[in-house]
Amino acid sequence: MKEKIAKIKETSIKEIEECKNQKELNDLKVKYLGKKGELTLLLRGMGALTPEERPIIGSLVNKVRDEINNLVEEKEVKFKKEELQRKLETENIDITEPSKKINLGSLHPITQVIQEVEETFLGMGYEIADGPEVEKAIYNFDKLNTPPDHPARDIQDTFYITDNIILRSQTSSVQARVMEEKKPPIKIICPGAVYRSDSVDATHSPVFHQIEGLVIDKNISMTDLKGTLEMFAKKCLGENTKIRFRPHHFPFTEPSAEADVSCFVCGGKGCKVCKGEGWIELLGCGMVHPNVLKNCGIDPEEYSGFAFGFGVERIAMAKFGIEDMRLLFENDVRFLKQF
Amino acid sequence: MKASIEWLEEYSDIDVDSVKLGDILTMTGSKVETVEQKGNDIKNVVVGKILEIEKHPDADKLVVTKVDVKTEILQIVTGANNIKVNDIVPIAKDGAELPGGVKIKTGKLRGIDSCGMMCSVGELGLDVNDYPNQIEHGIMILDKSLEKDLGKNIVEVLNLKEDIIDFEITPNRPDCLSIEGLGREVAVSLGKEFKNPRKNLDELNIEDKKEIEGLTVDITAPDLCYRYIARVVKNVKVGPSPEWMVRRLKACGVRSINNIVDITNYVMLELGQPMHAFDINSIEGKHITVRRAKENEKIVTLDEQERILGEDNLVIADDKKAVAIAGVMGGLNSEIENDTETVVFESAVFNGGSVRKTAKKVGLRTESSSRFEKGLSAENALRAINRAVELVELIGAGEAVNEKIDVYPTKQKINKIKLNVDKINNLLGINISKEEMIKILNKLEIKVENDMAIAPYFRRDLEFVADLAEEIVRFYGYDKLETTLINADTTLGIRNKEQNIEKKIKEILVSSGFSEIYTYGFVSSMDLEKSKIKEETIKNAITIMNPLSDEYKLMRPTTIPSMMQILALNNNKKNQNVKLFDLSRSYKNINNEVENGEVPLQENILTIGMYGDDVDFYTLKGIIENVLEVSNINRYEIEKETKNESYHPGRCANLKVGIDVIATLGEVHPEVLGNYDIERRAYLAEVNVTKLVKYSRANKKYVEVPKFPAVERDIAVIVDENVEVGQIEKLIVKKSKKLLESAKLFDIYRNEKIGDNKKSVAYSLIFRNKNKSLSDEEINPIMEAIIAELEKQLGAELRK
Repeated sequence: MKEKIAKIKETSIKEIEECKNQKELNDLKVKYLGKKGELTLLLRGMGALTPEERPIIGSLVNKVRDEINNLVEEKEVKFKKEELQRKLETENIDITEPSKKINLGSLHPITQVIQEVEETFLGMGYEIADGPEVEKAIYNFDKLNTPPDHPARDIQDTFYITDNIILRSQTSSVQARVMEEKKPPIKIICPGAVYRSDSVDATHSPVFHQIEGLVIDKNISMTDLKGTLEMFAKKCLGENTKIRFRPHHFPFTEPSAEADVSCFVCGGKGCKVCKGEGWIELLGCGMVHPNVLKNCGIDPEEYSGFAFGFGVERIAMAKFGIEDMRLLFENDVRFLKQF
Repeated sequence: MKASIEWLEEYSDIDVDSVKLGDILTMTGSKVETVEQKGNDIKNVVVGKILEIEKHPDADKLVVTKVDVKTEILQIVTGANNIKVNDIVPIAKDGAELPGGVKIKTGKLRGIDSCGMMCSVGELGLDVNDYPNQIEHGIMILDKSLEKDLGKNIVEVLNLKEDIIDFEITPNRPDCLSIEGLGREVAVSLGKEFKNPRKNLDELNIEDKKEIEGLTVDITAPDLCYRYIARVVKNVKVGPSPEWMVRRLKACGVRSINNIVDITNYVMLELGQPMHAFDINSIEGKHITVRRAKENEKIVTLDEQERILGEDNLVIADDKKAVAIAGVMGGLNSEIENDTETVVFESAVFNGGSVRKTAKKVGLRTESSSRFEKGLSAENALRAINRAVELVELIGAGEAVNEKIDVYPTKQKINKIKLNVDKINNLLGINISKEEMIKILNKLEIKVENDMAIAPYFRRDLEFVADLAEEIVRFYGYDKLETTLINADTTLGIRNKEQNIEKKIKEILVSSGFSEIYTYGFVSSMDLEKSKIKEETIKNAITIMNPLSDEYKLMRPTTIPSMMQILALNNNKKNQNVKLFDLSRSYKNINNEVENGEVPLQENILTIGMYGDDVDFYTLKGIIENVLEVSNINRYEIEKETKNESYHPGRCANLKVGIDVIATLGEVHPEVLGNYDIERRAYLAEVNVTKLVKYSRANKKYVEVPKFPAVERDIAVIVDENVEVGQIEKLIVKKSKKLLESAKLFDIYRNEKIGDNKKSVAYSLIFRNKNKSLSDEEINPIMEAIIAELEKQLGAELRK
């Protein structure tokens, strides 16, 4: 009996070692460990043994069974690993094949500039205000200290719906509305479309976009204006941007200034964008004219404020290197997708 | 306004280069457009004398000359034929430079050495009209008297050096449209004394008369003419002006005509007051009336054009006719002729707005009108006319009558402003003393008495403390202003609800592959027709009175035509798979707002347009559903829309919240596509963002994740083709006793077995009770009820 067991052990180890795949292994499992397997048969034959021998043989058989079982399990793990390895090898892919993404669209360059400016001023505690594009002349002109015979009111410059209703020629009209509706402190920017009677060419468009800024509070000064614009320029146009004020004149501000920024394309060395000057004219600004405050129901003795305004297209064009304004309104998807 | 440095130097010492001066003046508010430095581009050109002229041995058309340039005798070959021995000529020596970058070098001409070049007027960059004795094609022959300057630089000898600065003067400063005004700015900017050579012009003792030499003046429109002064000059000798005057006029861009006309222009440039001169004999009745023109009154102006005027326009008239358009241009009928003997000088001040409108109306914007339109000082008018008469005598052009007619109904008001030092310092964010402020103001001739600043007559723009602040900061230095941060209460910088929703909508559309477009708000009637916009919408369109063209005549009452145009453009350019969106406005005049002086309805509209192989109605529907989801709109109805002619009648839907249609979406009507030459299916949606925002509810609440299992049942029914799945869904919901978690349509199937005009619709239903597990006993009756309801209501047949 013992010899039989030893023989089974010997042959089974050999056969398991030599077995080549899971199927052969399964057969060996049945052959040795199955219900009709050799070891099982041996156990069944134990009836012929003496009671003394039975436990000894029994434990011997169980021991061998365990050993075989372990071997089978080891072999199974090995086969599984091999099989996985083969599978992984067959599943090799070409990672340079095209992706299956949903193609992204794009925000228009005008929106991108507006959003960037909005984020900067929101961070500085400004609200975003909006107003009608088809607007009363009184908000676009009269309240902004622009007298009835001012050239800006000419039909050569401004689109008229009636004598009193126009297409706003500047986002400053929103200023007047906000000042009428709200009490200071006021800190707003107003982005939006404006209309001027210019024919379409590479640098003109009858519709373009402006961003207006307005701050009204006690003790607002011109150095605050300069500081605010410098902070804005550094955030939006680059940390090294410098700002320069030049005297100018606007009906709605006094004193007024034009603000230049060091060219954000060449850094001030002189290039095509800044026409070799190193500076780019960025915006018009100034301290809100006392007449404007008065016209909008704010006491100029108590409050002061500043305002500024600039064209979005010009900045977008300089920023993205777009030389023809018409491209912005043509909306060829091959253009749009670049942004 | 152009000004020569030479002229400005009468008013101020100038010890900086013109370019530097330009920079300084720009920073004090007189913006410099260009700095022209004439004569700088001529180098190494000297005065020479021709000693010999001989024929060139090998060229018939060339001569070989010997020229004395003092330091040496040069041999020069030339083809010119207007030279003779002993002529004094400009010689460009070896290494010379001429205007336009021309460089002259020694070389051979047909084998003979030529060591330089004789110059023509043109080659020196000069205008032959300024040198009447010279010819255009030939060497410039200089005056014999210049022999004394042999070898000297031609630039100095002919006085060619001239620096001219062109200023962009802001409309509030008409005083700077004069050499005097600019001279004052130059002096103060450079910290020099303002020499003020014409200081006492208004203090001359000229007697006031009602009538001079039979001439009388009346103003019948005192609202448009504030002052009219006339002076008379007799025994006039009309002729050329002296060279210095011609030169100064030319530097300012004014052509010399004759001494009398030149004087009027000279005074205008010098003092900023436009002048006019008439021949007294052309004034019928010797009676000048400043009056409004009659409707359709005609006048031929000095430029020989007939101009038609109206009652808003002001004219200078005699008893019979208009002799000038006030402030704009004189009439041909009263022009100074060569035989004019007695001249009337006019110095008047007119209403700026009126002159501007008149100039626009007749299409003539002149040096004169562009000054008047900014509002001139009536005080300056007297100085100007006295200066004109002074110049007449100075150049011997006639004899002045020492009297004046001065009609001055309302004296110019002098503005006084309180010098509030603290307010100025606070406004500017600087801290300078009262004394310093007064010092700056005084330099600008703004006197300060008892803390009141008195604006000089020529500074009508000074009215408020803010105006004084500007004067102070101009000379304190804009560049010296520090940068400070607002010292005030903190304010909240956040987007409002609408702005947030709009931003989210844009984000989700970009993530879904849509590109944003920007369109004009203009459309034409044609565009509206092409897009088959409903008549009731078209009638809300707003008409622009002065459109750029018919194409841009209306403000769009709907954004559809704008999107269709862009889809058409992209289709025309063969761009594939185009997905676009536009978040902009529509403009509707619904209740005659515009006519009543009110602003019309202007709503924010999201417009989506797309075409391509991978899109259909349901792609669009999905996009719109996502737009509504990010906008926090979760209750809405979708309804079929068959009457909107811009869309395919079988493939269009409205989305409603409450009673408001907030979106329309669908396939573009084939006829509309045809109108835009689009030969493929395209899809459009309009979402009224203004309305959508009203219904947005941002209060999201957590709902417990289910603990108990769901029961899933599939159901497939055969229905008529015209039954909408939405109807089926509604009935399923109705019969589900609130246990239905979701009903997902997973298949629509059509074939012959099912039958013509039939379809099989299959749903996967998920039931769940959040408090317990559901049993078949609970679900089975529900399923039976659903089937019974579908059979009853829709004639559905259960598919087994």
